[in-house]
Amino acid sequence: MKHLKRTLCIALALILCLAVLPSAMAADDLSEEANLVFYVMGDAPQDETVVEDAINAVLKEKFNATVDFQFSTWTDFSQKYNNQLTSGGADLIYIANWLNYGLLARAGAFLELDDLLNEYAPELRALAGEEMLNMCRVEGELYAVPALWPEYVPLGIKYREDLRAKYDLPYPDSLENIEAYFAGVKEKEPEQPILRCTTSESASSLFVAFDAATVLNIKYPWVGNNGLPYGLASNYDTPDQVYDYWFSDDFVDDMKLMKKWADMGFWSKSALSDTNDSEAYDNGLCIAEVAGMNPNKQIASANNFAKEHPDWESAYITYGEVTGVLYPGHATQNGTAIVRGTKYPERCAMILNYMMTNEEMNDLVQYGIKGVHYDVVDGIYKELSENFRYENFNTWNLRVNDYKLPQESDVALQAMFDKYNEIAQKSKFPNVNIYGGFTEDYTDYEFERTAVSNVMRQYLAPLQAGLVDDVDAAVAEFRQKVTDAGLQTVREGFTEQWIAYCEEYGYQ
Amino acid sequence: MKIRDRSTIPFHIIKGVLLTFLSIVCVLPFIVIVSGSLTDNLIILKEGFSLFPREVTLSAYRTIFRSPDGIIQAYKMNFYYTFMGTALGLLIITLTAYVISRKDFKYRNHVAFLIYFTTIFGGGLIPWYMMYANVLNLRGTTLAIWFPALMTPFLVILMRTFITGSVPDAVVESAKIDGAGHWIIFWRIVLPVLGPGLATVGLFQALGYWNDWYRSSMFSTSSETWSLQFYLYDMVNSTMAMRQMAQNVSLNTTDLPTQTVKLAMAVVATGPVLLFYPFVQRYFVSGITIGAVKG
Amino acid sequence: MTASAEQRRLITEKAGPEKRSVFWVLLLCAAAAAALLLPVFPWIRICGADALYETMKLGASVVKKLQDSYSVFSFLSFVQISKQGVLGFWAFLLLLVAAAAAFLLLFSAAVFLRNGRATAGRPMLQTCAFLQKGLFLAFAAAAGTAGLCLYANRHYGITGFVPGFAVYGMLAASACGYLLSKRIEKRERKLCREHGFLEEFRRNWILFLFLVPCFVFFLINNYLPMTGIYFAFTQFNFRDHLFASPFVGFKNFEFLVRSEILHLTQNTILYNVVFIVVGNVLQILFAILISHVTRKRLRKLSQTMIFMPYFVSYVILRVLVFNMFEYEVGLVNNFVVSLGMERIDFYNSPSYWPWLITMFYLWKNIGYGMVVYLATITGISTEYYEAAQIDGANIYQQIRYITVPLLKPTFIILLLYALGGIMKGQFELFYQLVGNNGTLFNATDIFDTYVYRITTTQPLSMGMGTAAGLFQSLFGFIVIFVTNLCIKRRNPEYALF
Repeated sequence: MKHLKRTLCIALALILCLAVLPSAMAADDLSEEANLVFYVMGDAPQDETVVEDAINAVLKEKFNATVDFQFSTWTDFSQKYNNQLTSGGADLIYIANWLNYGLLARAGAFLELDDLLNEYAPELRALAGEEMLNMCRVEGELYAVPALWPEYVPLGIKYREDLRAKYDLPYPDSLENIEAYFAGVKEKEPEQPILRCTTSESASSLFVAFDAATVLNIKYPWVGNNGLPYGLASNYDTPDQVYDYWFSDDFVDDMKLMKKWADMGFWSKSALSDTNDSEAYDNGLCIAEVAGMNPNKQIASANNFAKEHPDWESAYITYGEVTGVLYPGHATQNGTAIVRGTKYPERCAMILNYMMTNEEMNDLVQYGIKGVHYDVVDGIYKELSENFRYENFNTWNLRVNDYKLPQESDVALQAMFDKYNEIAQKSKFPNVNIYGGFTEDYTDYEFERTAVSNVMRQYLAPLQAGLVDDVDAAVAEFRQKVTDAGLQTVREGFTEQWIAYCEEYGYQ
Repeated sequence: MKIRDRSTIPFHIIKGVLLTFLSIVCVLPFIVIVSGSLTDNLIILKEGFSLFPREVTLSAYRTIFRSPDGIIQAYKMNFYYTFMGTALGLLIITLTAYVISRKDFKYRNHVAFLIYFTTIFGGGLIPWYMMYANVLNLRGTTLAIWFPALMTPFLVILMRTFITGSVPDAVVESAKIDGAGHWIIFWRIVLPVLGPGLATVGLFQALGYWNDWYRSSMFSTSSETWSLQFYLYDMVNSTMAMRQMAQNVSLNTTDLPTQTVKLAMAVVATGPVLLFYPFVQRYFVSGITIGAVKG
Repeated sequence: MTASAEQRRLITEKAGPEKRSVFWVLLLCAAAAAALLLPVFPWIRICGADALYETMKLGASVVKKLQDSYSVFSFLSFVQISKQGVLGFWAFLLLLVAAAAAFLLLFSAAVFLRNGRATAGRPMLQTCAFLQKGLFLAFAAAAGTAGLCLYANRHYGITGFVPGFAVYGMLAASACGYLLSKRIEKRERKLCREHGFLEEFRRNWILFLFLVPCFVFFLINNYLPMTGIYFAFTQFNFRDHLFASPFVGFKNFEFLVRSEILHLTQNTILYNVVFIVVGNVLQILFAILISHVTRKRLRKLSQTMIFMPYFVSYVILRVLVFNMFEYEVGLVNNFVVSLGMERIDFYNSPSYWPWLITMFYLWKNIGYGMVVYLATITGISTEYYEAAQIDGANIYQQIRYITVPLLKPTFIILLLYALGGIMKGQFELFYQLVGNNGTLFNATDIFDTYVYRITTTQPLSMGMGTAAGLFQSLFGFIVIFVTNLCIKRRNPEYALF
């Protein structure tokens, strides 16, 4: 009991300490030196301090501030990212949609930037343009400055072009042709595995449960990857006309197709527990990848083939080329925010402004010291030292189109982007990532949402993996279970917000 | 040696069979791991594991030791954490266990309860993290990496069992009558007979430290303070993450043979432990054979 | 109860008549304190409600739901309805303290009645011990309530919260009662030759010194962070931060109730019971077998070999297991086919997995757990065995009558220890072996894997995660508390605490 008393007293003391933390936001004063922490993802470069010293020499003089880059490392990064925000250990921070930017912003993790930018970063504001900034708004408030380098990350199928040519098979540009291509290779080389796929990671788990089902995107001109969550869908040209996918006949047909493919042996019967090896394709252990792809990964594989297997060839067909729905990556793909609770919001804004609008500083942060770490030959980046490589601070959020030095591989990438841009221009909402700008607030139905995601893991995954005996019966069971889980509530909650969003931005 | 009693023959047969079986089952996967670490990554991916490497290659080890400075530093830190944690931890665990094993200590059950209570209730990760990162401001220090595991309730309770088991009350009582205080009793009477207990608890404590990566992951701000396991983890995790993200194509990230590196990691991390093991082992695998005494 | 009637009479006689009046006052104080804890008394009154609610920016519909006054137990409803998270943690602590006080006061009454309403001697000391703690906590609750009012008024810059008369009454009654019971206790201790904390400290100060590092460690590492349990009742946001986020009551627990909680609980407990019992029995068995290996080298070698699986991390185990049980190219299926049988579809058949998971758990843990028993056997004096041999005991009898009984205390302690975690699972084991394979969930889903799945689809679900943890903790706590109590009754030697 005595211990209990003491514990209580000390607990109270601790609470008081903790309670002081978030309120420590005072007006900035340039005469006080600010030591800022810039939290970024990944690992630190070898020459971290060398480059930081060079950066800080400038910042110290201009802003009486220093910046210390801190790195998340890739182990448990999302957990640590949230810790960093909760404990208030950073001032500037890398943000991205895959780090739940929208949710975090809604929960108040970042400072509102409108006034700060007007006052301390007008050049940056002008450079970014209101259209870009608006895409980072959450509930009308601006919380982040996006990277200023347009990028396309459309889903698609990455496949072995050499095998297709060798056996004279059709290009995999429709479900029929994909099937023909797979079946053709399977027939000629029975030992060659076709696909390596597994259950989806949690990020996309409310859209699909088994990642091979992503291939269905080639059939539908959906507004987002895999349609909309909770088995809903709408088309890119009519985003606000939401329709039901799971309860449609299309869904049953699609599931029958997946079952057919599974029976044809396109993936392992044990796929649901597969470890989903990212090395498989590069090592010839599968002939195609249909989920989680993007042009960057195609380039990586092509480079790898050129080095390791010169007689292999990798090609990429985006689903958007077939359906005509293509749009650039969303602005929140890479961005920078100021953490709520920082003591120096003004200095943060000034430094962000400087890093993105001053070419010399931007190059220093992105590529290190010229002549030591890199050089520019014929306008192309050339690495001089392994101790600081291309964008080695992992500050993809500070990319600026005018300053970004192209690498050799960027030529091929740019060619792909140009092609996509052409298609994207023809769509009804040219170059707008409609779904990417939407943040769902599911606090009112989070339990139903949870239950739905659970049912998807249990009943949708085997269905999409074609591991059921009777598709019709399995579909019926899945529909029943997911309805019991409260699908109706979730869908209503989502649709209401989605339609309001479409109306607000005029996506009609 | 005395000729064994006939009736014990079945016992020895069963013993032999069971132990041989279990030993093989336990050691086979480890052989698979070692041979896998010596195999080419592609062969593992294509043909799976085998008991013996078809073609020995050291590429996985070469990858791990690519920057020797890094891994040597990690080894150093690992020894440091393991030493600090085991030495200090063992001392305070034993002291605590001694106190709660004393029947003449009025509050022994209260203390035991308070210690056990922490295994059941916990406030979760965030307050724990903030305690060290914000309140004590230990982020980036080595203290934050070894301090949080100094004591585990399990080891305290285990140590208490060893003390009550190996020090009879009568011995302590008679020492008390001779005028010995707790200080003397602890150092002169309890510690000397506590060999197996100290070895067991020390081993568990040391293994826990040796294999830890989590605290390095949470509290490190520079690779200087990384423990060995985290150093190895990070190598694989960063490769996988870069592949997943493909943010940065030019980096030579795809050249890390993750499968074999994972296996080589296990070997690299386990090696030193197996070297040390026999020195501790003699304390809990007795030198005298039970049941075969008398020559 | 231990004192004979004669002794009791003597003690009571010595105590003298005026002490009886002290006792009656104490009884009165305790009864008053207990009564004041009843939720009918107003502890916190709201005054100047209009101005206060305006400062809080509350809408009319919210105001309608609020009352004029609250007891210490109902004040959290005010916090929840008015969304004033700032007051939440304080109010929550008060509620816990008040509940503990009420419990202890009731309990001391029960002890008093059970002890035959003894007002002196050891029974009275026992009653006093509980009564004192109860009164202390009641006082703390009252003082804390006054503190809360002060804090809230300062926070809003307006006098809106006033401690009710019950608070003042409680302060007086509990303080008075506490002092009286201290006085009685002091006298009784002298009579019964018992000693209190100070005396114990004087005698055994060195033991307290030994405990200092332990105390510091658990305080920093466990007890202070335990405040985080409160987050199970809040919905976290960064604007209000940890201790001021809105208090939401039991909302975070809803997802547990709505899930198939019975099924999950059943799975978790079944797996754990099998792991604990079979694991320990096998560890003992093999420890005994190893200790009977005649050749020293062989003994050490086999022990080392059995220990090795401990070093195989679950991440690697996952790869090995998938390679073994895969349908088309897995080792097991290749073997099965070579025997001329049908391939087995392990990854789509839940029924195999309880066996496989148990097998791999045992495989990985036998060597590790065995060390404890081996060390215990090593500690057994060889004299016992020698004496037994002289008496003609054979090897089975030696094991049966010497080794096993001497291993029993360790076995029981380890068993008890594991019971507290009966609702917590071997997360890594299940997660790595099964992954996200939904078809196997019916047989392999345990509490931890379920919660992990849920919380990863909901970022910022700190509240839900903590709530799940709290449920597991309470469950384990009740199990271990009851078990420990039963064991203590039978044989205090074996009790955990």
